[in-house]
Amino acid sequence: MIRFDNVSFAYSANSKANSLNNITLHIEKGECVLLAGASGCGKSTLLRLLNGLIPEFYEGKRTGRIFIEGRAVEGRGIYDMVGKIGTVFQNPRSQFFNVDTTSELAFGCENLALPEKQILERIDSTVKSFDIEKLMGRSIFELSGGEKQKIACASVDVLEPDVILLDEPSANMDYDGMINLRQVIKVWKKHGKTVLIAEHRMNFVWDIADRVILLEQGRIKEELNREQMDNFTEADCRKYSLRGLRQIKPEEVELGNNNILIYKTGNEENADTNAALGKENVTDQKSNDNIILLCDFSYAYKGEKELFHISSMDISENKVTAIIGTNGAGKTTFLECLCGIRRCRGTMKWHGKGYKGKQRIKQVFMVMQDPNHQLFAESVLDEVLISMKDEDEERAKDILAEMDLLEFADRHPMSLSGGQKQRVAIACAIASECPILLLDEPTSGLDYRHMLEVSDILTRLKASGKTIITVTHDTEFIEQCCDEIRSLDNLAG
Amino acid sequence: MGRRNSILDPRTKLLLVFMEAVFVLATAGGERLYVLRVIFTILPFVLLITSRNYKTCITGIIVLIGVTLLERFVFPMLTGMLSYMLLTVITIVTRFLPAVLMGTYVIRTTKVSEFKSAMEKMHVPDELTIPLCVMFRFFPTVKEEMDSIRAAMRMRGISFGGGKVSEMLEYRLVPMMSCSAKIGEELSAAALTRGFGISRKRTNICRIGFGVFDYIILLFCAGTIIFWISGVMI
Repeated sequence: MIRFDNVSFAYSANSKANSLNNITLHIEKGECVLLAGASGCGKSTLLRLLNGLIPEFYEGKRTGRIFIEGRAVEGRGIYDMVGKIGTVFQNPRSQFFNVDTTSELAFGCENLALPEKQILERIDSTVKSFDIEKLMGRSIFELSGGEKQKIACASVDVLEPDVILLDEPSANMDYDGMINLRQVIKVWKKHGKTVLIAEHRMNFVWDIADRVILLEQGRIKEELNREQMDNFTEADCRKYSLRGLRQIKPEEVELGNNNILIYKTGNEENADTNAALGKENVTDQKSNDNIILLCDFSYAYKGEKELFHISSMDISENKVTAIIGTNGAGKTTFLECLCGIRRCRGTMKWHGKGYKGKQRIKQVFMVMQDPNHQLFAESVLDEVLISMKDEDEERAKDILAEMDLLEFADRHPMSLSGGQKQRVAIACAIASECPILLLDEPTSGLDYRHMLEVSDILTRLKASGKTIITVTHDTEFIEQCCDEIRSLDNLAG
Repeated sequence: MGRRNSILDPRTKLLLVFMEAVFVLATAGGERLYVLRVIFTILPFVLLITSRNYKTCITGIIVLIGVTLLERFVFPMLTGMLSYMLLTVITIVTRFLPAVLMGTYVIRTTKVSEFKSAMEKMHVPDELTIPLCVMFRFFPTVKEEMDSIRAAMRMRGISFGGGKVSEMLEYRLVPMMSCSAKIGEELSAAALTRGFGISRKRTNICRIGFGVFDYIILLFCAGTIIFWISGVMI
């Protein structure tokens, strides 16, 4: 079905280092193959070579030959692959062209100029096999991340491709979203499609894949067949620096102290239960005074019912607390409210003082999921300096050194990698001297090593006296560095 | 698919935006077309109601009434510099508001595929249609990005207080452009792999077509243009 013959590739933008080196690979029809490896190992590049985005969209130099169904890919563009190869991308936010789900499903077929009747039939059969009747005719903006990704898969499926590529499809997804995705991949397997998945968090497809290809710096390091996969242990994952294989719901993580509280969101009637829950816990912990109490936090988008209502939630001072909950439970909004950049009801009580709305800005710093939104200055050093009350270059440099960023002090923040940008944002948080630090999904899309880096930083910040609250879906990350868990659970979910 | 969220065909809507621009914004035809101009000023409000955009509609009405009151009661009492300033504000608002509201109506009620289909029916070449479609899809995304950036600036204590305006603009634009570029790139990649822009006649499952309301408005626009031209000729 697919054959790589000694393929190497280097992007024009970075022609010194090859992204792929001497890849020789053969994939049978109907196989489900998992591509694993650290960020930058060449997983995505391999997929782009197949769907034609290389060389038309991403330029570079390729050697070696690639065959799909016995035909070489040379001279065949992206459009030749439409209807033969379908691709599901990482970011559900940026892969939709239409605003409503039905148009989105029709989009690909419309482009191929299929007759209307046939398009409607295909949509029908896809909707049935994916079981997504409920999602039809809705606005994309109303859907949760997991639902969006399901629509993305469906809109690829209507084109009836033989080969389906998934490029880190679970990066922004919660546990349920991953289970959904697993279901979709099973449907494809049943229909005899050839499926290639590039993924860090591979636990949800580990048992349904037929083969794993481990890539390292553009080379195939190892290939595991089904039998070898069954014998692959957690320790082996560590050895190859891969994400773990266990499928654990975030709320079932064992932290030893059993400190999980569930706060219902999205329904006012539950305010009472929350109050009871919260109160009980407060009395429990009254002995130690080191808690930050969040009272009566609620938020509603204009003209809609309440997204969440938290009568009382306690956060332990100088600990790392994970906030978990399904996509769409309002976790990000909750963080925005907490740090005072979104107007809402609620008071934060801490050391006998009450902080309302904007008063919290000086106490709380938030590192956003996309750090691009919060970096403004012309150099990394300036970025840290403008965060300080009184600009102090010595101190700024110390902070940069602490974050391993000193060598980039004069670079423009936008020229850094995603992980480096995130560290710049954390450096700004330290510089601002806010005692409370919020992070919004700091490990989404990160490989094992980068996830460990983030959790090391958080552990260090905790040691320096900060209180850290992080929204996350990442079970391994929670086990690695979080002390407590609070769950914002959406009833509708 | 059969569900249409507006009573007008996209082509009619585009014509209306054009009419608003020519007759209300640029005030073609002068005093002679005063009555027609009033009708064109009211029209966007009616359309916003038909598409259930009540909030925008009410905000617009309040602004318009406010400005009219200023014009009637405050303006005659002012002299000199102040009166000029007020006149400028009044003129800008009364002229721009209907066009802006009409634009809002069009963007909110037109699906990308409807727009594409309309452009195809008018035989507009793809080279023009595709970038316009991408822009259509892009507006809400850019707005989302702007909101996040504004929130981040507030959190980091960067506001219009002390700094220079140019710096503030740069702080805002640089992250927005880099985010938008990234989203644009991902969006294009996703659309291309599903054959967007493939050189074939594209089907379109959304049905567009002229209805009663379209004909009424088309007739009215035609009447306005004829009346205007006849005035110019004489």
